[in-house]
Amino acid sequence: MSNKEKESIQLLQGTLDLIVLRTLTTMGPQHAYQIATRLQHISYRLLNLNQGTLYPALVRLEQYGWIKGTWGRTESNREAKYYEITKAGQKALGEETKTWRRMSALVERLLLEES
Amino acid sequence: MKHLRRIFLKFYLLFANSKVEAELEREIGAHLALLEDEYLRQGMTREDARRAARIAYGGVEQAKQLHRDERAFQGLGQILQDTRYTFRQLRKSPGFTVTTILMLALGIGATTAIFSIVEGVLLRPLPFPDPDRLVSLGDVLEGSHCTSCAHSSVTAPDIRNYTRDTQSFSHLGGYRQRLFELSGTGDPAAVNATRMSGEVFAALGVPPLLGRTFTQHEDEENEQVAVLSYGMWQNRFHGDANVLGSKILLYRKPYIVIGVMPRDFEFPLNPGHVNQSELWLPLSLQPQEFMQGGAASWNSRMVGRLKPGITAEQAQSDAERVARETMRDYPAYMRSLRIHAVVTPLQEDTVAQARPLVRTLFFAVIVVLLIVCANLAGLLLVRVIRRRRETAVRLALGARAATLLRQAVVESMVLSIAGGAIGLALAAVALRVGVSRLPQTLPRINEIGLDWPVMLFALGLALLTGFLCGLAPAFAAIRTSVNETLKEGGRTGTWGSGHARLRSALVVAEIAVALTLLTASGLLLRSFEKMRDVKLGFRPDNTLAALYVLPQQQYRTQSAIDEFTKTLLNDLGQLPGAEAVGITSFLPAAGNNWTIAFMIEAHVPPKGAGMNMAAMSLVEGNPFEALGIRVLRGRVFTESDNAGSQLVAIVNRKMAERYWPGQDPIGKRLRRGMPETSTPWMTVVGEVDDVKLGSRDVETTPQVYQPVTQTVASEGVLASAGELSAADGWIVLRSRMDPEQMENTLRATMRRIDPQLPLYQMQTMEHAISKSEAPRRFNTVLISSFAIAAVLLSILGIYGVIAFSVALREQEMALRMALGCQRSGVILFILSSGARLAAVGCGLGLLGAVAASRLLRSFLFEVSPFDPGVLALSAIAMLLLALAASALPARRASSTDPMLALRGE
Repeated sequence: MSNKEKESIQLLQGTLDLIVLRTLTTMGPQHAYQIATRLQHISYRLLNLNQGTLYPALVRLEQYGWIKGTWGRTESNREAKYYEITKAGQKALGEETKTWRRMSALVERLLLEES
Repeated sequence: MKHLRRIFLKFYLLFANSKVEAELEREIGAHLALLEDEYLRQGMTREDARRAARIAYGGVEQAKQLHRDERAFQGLGQILQDTRYTFRQLRKSPGFTVTTILMLALGIGATTAIFSIVEGVLLRPLPFPDPDRLVSLGDVLEGSHCTSCAHSSVTAPDIRNYTRDTQSFSHLGGYRQRLFELSGTGDPAAVNATRMSGEVFAALGVPPLLGRTFTQHEDEENEQVAVLSYGMWQNRFHGDANVLGSKILLYRKPYIVIGVMPRDFEFPLNPGHVNQSELWLPLSLQPQEFMQGGAASWNSRMVGRLKPGITAEQAQSDAERVARETMRDYPAYMRSLRIHAVVTPLQEDTVAQARPLVRTLFFAVIVVLLIVCANLAGLLLVRVIRRRRETAVRLALGARAATLLRQAVVESMVLSIAGGAIGLALAAVALRVGVSRLPQTLPRINEIGLDWPVMLFALGLALLTGFLCGLAPAFAAIRTSVNETLKEGGRTGTWGSGHARLRSALVVAEIAVALTLLTASGLLLRSFEKMRDVKLGFRPDNTLAALYVLPQQQYRTQSAIDEFTKTLLNDLGQLPGAEAVGITSFLPAAGNNWTIAFMIEAHVPPKGAGMNMAAMSLVEGNPFEALGIRVLRGRVFTESDNAGSQLVAIVNRKMAERYWPGQDPIGKRLRRGMPETSTPWMTVVGEVDDVKLGSRDVETTPQVYQPVTQTVASEGVLASAGELSAADGWIVLRSRMDPEQMENTLRATMRRIDPQLPLYQMQTMEHAISKSEAPRRFNTVLISSFAIAAVLLSILGIYGVIAFSVALREQEMALRMALGCQRSGVILFILSSGARLAAVGCGLGLLGAVAASRLLRSFLFEVSPFDPGVLALSAIAMLLLALAASALPARRASSTDPMLALRGE
């Protein structure tokens, strides 16, 4: 793993959690591949990440008790582990979103003043 | 909350690893399958789709590792894994495992047991609140040359003056321990009781468990109250809570029980456990204790608590001022006495005498532990060498040095912790069995045990041992040169010369410290032997001794006492089998004596000689014959030497030689006291052998014997009005029978004379001697057993080194023999390499012995710490043992078949 990649994961950690939670609320239960695809849609040009890098975020969120994984079947009848957001996850998403908004507004303002 | 949950899971998942790992595998598989499906749909061939899926997913192993790092504490996980790996490895070599664990158990167990003594006796603060503010206060008497007085003591007037006139103490009081006859509850018995000022309880600051303690006021008012020890309360009163207010008789005088002290309360903190106080009574000094002889009897001690902000030095100068006033007020008959006040921290006062012994034991046991460590490091090193191919392969496959290092340290830690656990169990057993056998010279014995500090010590010791012993082999392992080892392919020519040096150094160190301990043990054994050779000055065979004390309540007059004594001597003399009977105020070998000052007629003391001190024994009947003390000149006392007749004395040889060298002491005169004390002259009528009053290794002092009936007369101005003599004494009875059979006869006789009077400390004289030898025997046995352990371990070490180097060089030996070297040449070659190590070790060991001599000197008796015989013998023994240890591998090497060994690889 290149250093650059490591850095982007570090940078991404908080954001990644937010994106995963958000994806699961809007799209319902999803498996890792679906989430990864979604992630690529959003960030493809910005972050060139392998799909495997999603896994630490999933295990972390599951350990927090924010998402829950269950085995199921895809439309093509392949098995896959579907992640679903929990009640605690909903609540956490609300708070994280608020924090994120505050942060980004702050950074935005800061950058405006600087320029 | 979310973090707590996560921390728990991260720990939990360390143990549920395989399940999660399988699940992850499955999930990644599913993910890849879905990706592949997608690429297939885009029109790729199956082959290309699979590749593309892999690329899009990224490294599977990397993803797994990220997942692992995220879900569990991996650092711990690795150690866990290493531990499992170690267990597997150790199971494969049970011989090695059992040997090392037992060795460590021995080392750590012994060290822990001894450390618990160090901790209980020396390190733990005294069991009182703010113990560092507690001090002892006493006088040092100038010119008394009192070597046996380890503790400073005070007189009754001192107690009054110091408590009244010093300003440095918030509480200060005197105390005096003595035997009391206890009756009124169960059988009459002798109990150790301490008379003490009410202020002593206040100074110590320990509240009673039940009831209350007595006050200074009650003390001064001569209230007859008593505070019980916990043990006394449990044993005599069966822990009855209604004991308060009940009556006990002490020397047949009634006392009211007002309190019970807690279980761990102990005061005074006397050495040993037979002398512990079971009862505390008010000191209540009586008028006669301030007068005449009482004013000149240093028979009490004082303890105080310093006022806040006052140092011991300030308190001492304060007390010194009072001491000067006390001296100014000395009565005429003791005007020449000079005293100095001494203030010592109570902790120091308590442990000072025990320190050298405890330190030496600790030193000895640490030596054993060091040898254990060296052996362990050596054995681990052998494992490293044996496994070098495996190590090289692992390094070649990319194992990191840190991993190898960690595994090596984990392995030795697992061993040492296992050894530590077993060692702790051994220490617990040893302490349970051993504490009762500790010498009576150690204070605070009841506090010795396996408590938390000791357990932590053992654990810390185990971890430290494991870590240090593991490091050397660990570094040896990572220094393995991959290329060399793999190329060598098992040829064992030059490999590991650096390791061999390290192992040799370890063995040399082992031999050196083992020899140090061996010489120490040799010197102690020699001292013990020398002590056994010392003449006792009496014949202990067939002699029985017992102490009695007449209660004043019953025996109020001198004539009543004399009547009792006369009947006793008469009845005992009539017993069948009785050969001789006598009464003496001090029993030889019992360790007690009473030293007083004498004036010798026409003796001009050399300048600065101080006072003429001699141990005084008051006798009646014929204790000289009963104890088998040889009369050298003159005669023993007879019945006609009584209160009315001329005052007489018997001196020992030492006394005669000191004051009348080269002359016949018979007819010479001496008297009690100092020049200014007006006392009558006593005439020497006999000279007897020097008698050991204490242990044999204590130098005999001048001794004076006097008929007890003449005591009061000889005291002159020192005698107080109405003073009674002969109210207590040791009966000594020599018989033709086994003295133990005489015990019941003696008891029966006493019961006939006074049915209530108990006999204390009945023992044969042989028993008394063995008791006096116990401390030295204890030191000697313990240090010698450590020395034996050390020698055996170091022999094991040298055997290990030689055997292993022979095994490594089997082919070299075979080659030598194939080229014509004789078998004897091979043997000689190997023996000499063992002897070289041993010789270097012995050289260093002798230096070590010299260095340790300072520590040991105080335990030696008539043996120099550099005793050439002992040093030479120990070194030779060590060398021979080392040669013997090398002989076995040497024989094996010489019997290898050269062809077999050469073909071997």
